[in-house]
Amino acid sequence: MKYLDAIRRAGRNLRQAKIRTLLTSLAIGVGSFTITLSLAAGSGGRTFVEDLVSANTNPNAVYVQPRQESMQQSGGVQEYSDTPSISYGGGFQLTLLKGSDINSISKMDGVEQVDPVYNLNAKYITVKGQKKYQAGLSTYDDSVTLKYAAGQGRDLANNAIIINEDYVKPLGFKRSADALGKTIQVAVANPLGVERLFEFKVAAVSEKSDLAVGGTSDLVINNAASKTVYEYSEQGTPLEKAYMGATVIAKNKESAADLKDTLSDKGYDAQTAEDLMSTIFTFVNVLQGILLGFGALAILTSVFGIINTQYISVLERTSQIGLMKALGMRNRDIGRLFRYEAAWIGFLGGAIGAGLAVLLGSLANPYITELLDLGETKLLEFHVWQAASVIIGLMIVAVLAGIFPSRKASKLDPIEALRTE
Amino acid sequence: MIEVNNVTKVYGKKQHEFVALSDINLSIEKGLSVAIIGKSGSGKSTLMHIMSGLDHPKSGSVVIDGQNIFEMKQKQIDNFRAQKIGFIFQSFFLEGNETVADNVSLPLEIASVPHSQRKERINQALAAVELDDKIKNRAKDLSGGQRQRLVIARAIVNNPSIIFADEPTGNLDSQTGEKIEDLLFGLNKERGVTLVIVTHDDDLAAKCDVRVRIKDGKVQSVEYANRKGEEK
Repeated sequence: MKYLDAIRRAGRNLRQAKIRTLLTSLAIGVGSFTITLSLAAGSGGRTFVEDLVSANTNPNAVYVQPRQESMQQSGGVQEYSDTPSISYGGGFQLTLLKGSDINSISKMDGVEQVDPVYNLNAKYITVKGQKKYQAGLSTYDDSVTLKYAAGQGRDLANNAIIINEDYVKPLGFKRSADALGKTIQVAVANPLGVERLFEFKVAAVSEKSDLAVGGTSDLVINNAASKTVYEYSEQGTPLEKAYMGATVIAKNKESAADLKDTLSDKGYDAQTAEDLMSTIFTFVNVLQGILLGFGALAILTSVFGIINTQYISVLERTSQIGLMKALGMRNRDIGRLFRYEAAWIGFLGGAIGAGLAVLLGSLANPYITELLDLGETKLLEFHVWQAASVIIGLMIVAVLAGIFPSRKASKLDPIEALRTE
Repeated sequence: MIEVNNVTKVYGKKQHEFVALSDINLSIEKGLSVAIIGKSGSGKSTLMHIMSGLDHPKSGSVVIDGQNIFEMKQKQIDNFRAQKIGFIFQSFFLEGNETVADNVSLPLEIASVPHSQRKERINQALAAVELDDKIKNRAKDLSGGQRQRLVIARAIVNNPSIIFADEPTGNLDSQTGEKIEDLLFGLNKERGVTLVIVTHDDDLAAKCDVRVRIKDGKVQSVEYANRKGEEK
C-alpha cells in the first residue's frame, strides 16, 4: 500500500467516527493550547525585556563597579584604609571607584568614554514665582531613547535641561512649547544643609514613555552639569571624587565583551547590557518553563486517551482488518494505517489547540497590554514556526501513543478476524 | 491449477485436539468451477482458507501454478493474494460509510496499483456487475443484491485468476441469488477465472464443473459434471 493511500484511508476511517475523533483530539488540544500560549508568552516576554533593556542601555556599554570584597565580612574591628568607601554598621563597607580608577579605565584598549555614575539629588525645582516641586535629576544618556513633545535634547549644553511633560502645567506653562528657553531653578543641598540654586534653560520637553525605566520622568542635564551638581552635593563626604560605579562606553559591541573580561581580571565587577538582559531572560524562561510543564502534563493525559480510543477502534474493526489481510495487505501496512490515524488525531488536536491559542491570544493581546501597561509591546507573540513545531511534535507523540494499538491490529490472525461478526 | 496434497489441519492441543481436515487431496484444473459442499462444521471453510493461504495446515501442501504457497515468505503470500486471488465472503465486509468506488478501490490500493489506472479498472469492475450508476453512493445505501454485486466487483477488480466465494448466495432471495450465480459463472466462462465456491446449497453446486463433498474433515466424493465428460 502506498503512503498516500494509507494516509487518505486513515483520514476517512477517522471521519466515520467523528465525535470520537473530535473528543480524543480535544484532549490533545488542551495541551497544544497551553504549550502554544506559553511559547507565545515566552517570546513576547523576551521581546519585551529586549526592548526594555535596549531602550535603557547602550549595547556598547559596560557597567563597572568595584568588587565588594568586604561585603560578606562578619563584624569585628576593621583596620582603617585609605580607599574611599561608605561604612555601614556591622562592618559592612561599600568600596567606591576612585578618580584614579576612572583614569586607568579610560586608558584601556577599546574604551571610547568613561562616565562615572553621578547620584544626583535635587531638593526641589521651581520657576521664579511658582511653587516648589520635588523632582528626580539624572544625567543625559545617549542610549536612552527619549521622545520629545517640544524642542530637541541632543548635544545638551552645560546650562540646558530637559524636563518631562508632567512638569509643564505645574511649573505654570500652558503648553510644552511655552516652556522652551525658560529658566528652571534646581535647588541642591550640600552635606551641611546649605542650599544652592542652579539655573538651567529648558532645551526640550520629553514625552512619557512606557518602556523607559528611568531618566524620563526625571529632569535631565548633561555630564558636565551633573559633575558640578554632584560635587557640590557630596563635598566633604567619601563620595566626593569617588563614585558608586561608572559606565564605560566601548568602541563597539565586541570590544565591550573584551573590556568586560579585562575589567574582571583587574578586580572590578563588570556587566554588559547583554548580561543584564540574560539575567532577566532567566526569569522569563523559568516562568515559561512552568507553563510548558502544565502543557506537557495535559499531553501526557491525552496520550492515554489516544491509546484507549485506538485500542477500541482496533477491536471494533477486527473484521475490516481481517478483510484487508485476506486481500493481501501486509501486517506492516496495517500497523501503519493505525499509526497514521493516530497521527491525524495528533494533527487535529494540535491544530485545534494552536489555532484557538492564536485566535484567543490575538484577541486578548490588546487587553493584556492595557492591563499591564506595556505600551507598544504585545505580551503574546505568536510565530508560525512555533505553532507548526507544536503540531508536528504532537503528531509524533500521537504516533508513539498509537504504537501499542497498531501492533495489536497488525498481529491479528486474519482467520479469527474474519470470523468476528 | 490448484493442487491440495495431504492437507491436515488440527485445532487445539493434546486432549482438546480437534481434527478439522484430515489428509485432503484435491486437484483443480485451471478455469474450472468447483463447489466445495458440506454441512456447517464439516471443514469446508477451513479448506478454503488453507487453499488461499490465509490459514496454515498442520501438514501437507497447496501448490498453485507450480508453487507451494506455504514455502513462500509472508510477503510473497500477501503479494500473491493481492495479485491473483479474489475473495467473496458470506458476510460482505463492506465499509458501509464509504462510497462504492472506495470499497472497490481497496484491493487496488493494497496491490499498489498506480493511481492513473485505478479509475478505469474500478469503472470496468462496476460495469461488469451493473453498478456503474451507483459509483458515488455509500455502500450502506445499497440493497442486499447490490451489496453482493459490489463484493463481486471488489473481488474482480484486480483481474484475479482464482476467486474464492464463501456462500455467495447464502444471504439472498432466490431471484437475486440466481443473478449472482449467472454473474459468477459468466466470469468463469468468459475470463477463464477458476471459481471455488464453498456452499451447502446443492442447486448452486449442481451448476459447477466439479463437486467436492466434505464430511467430518474428509473428502467424501469428487464428482465431475457430465458436460466435462468422465466421472471419477
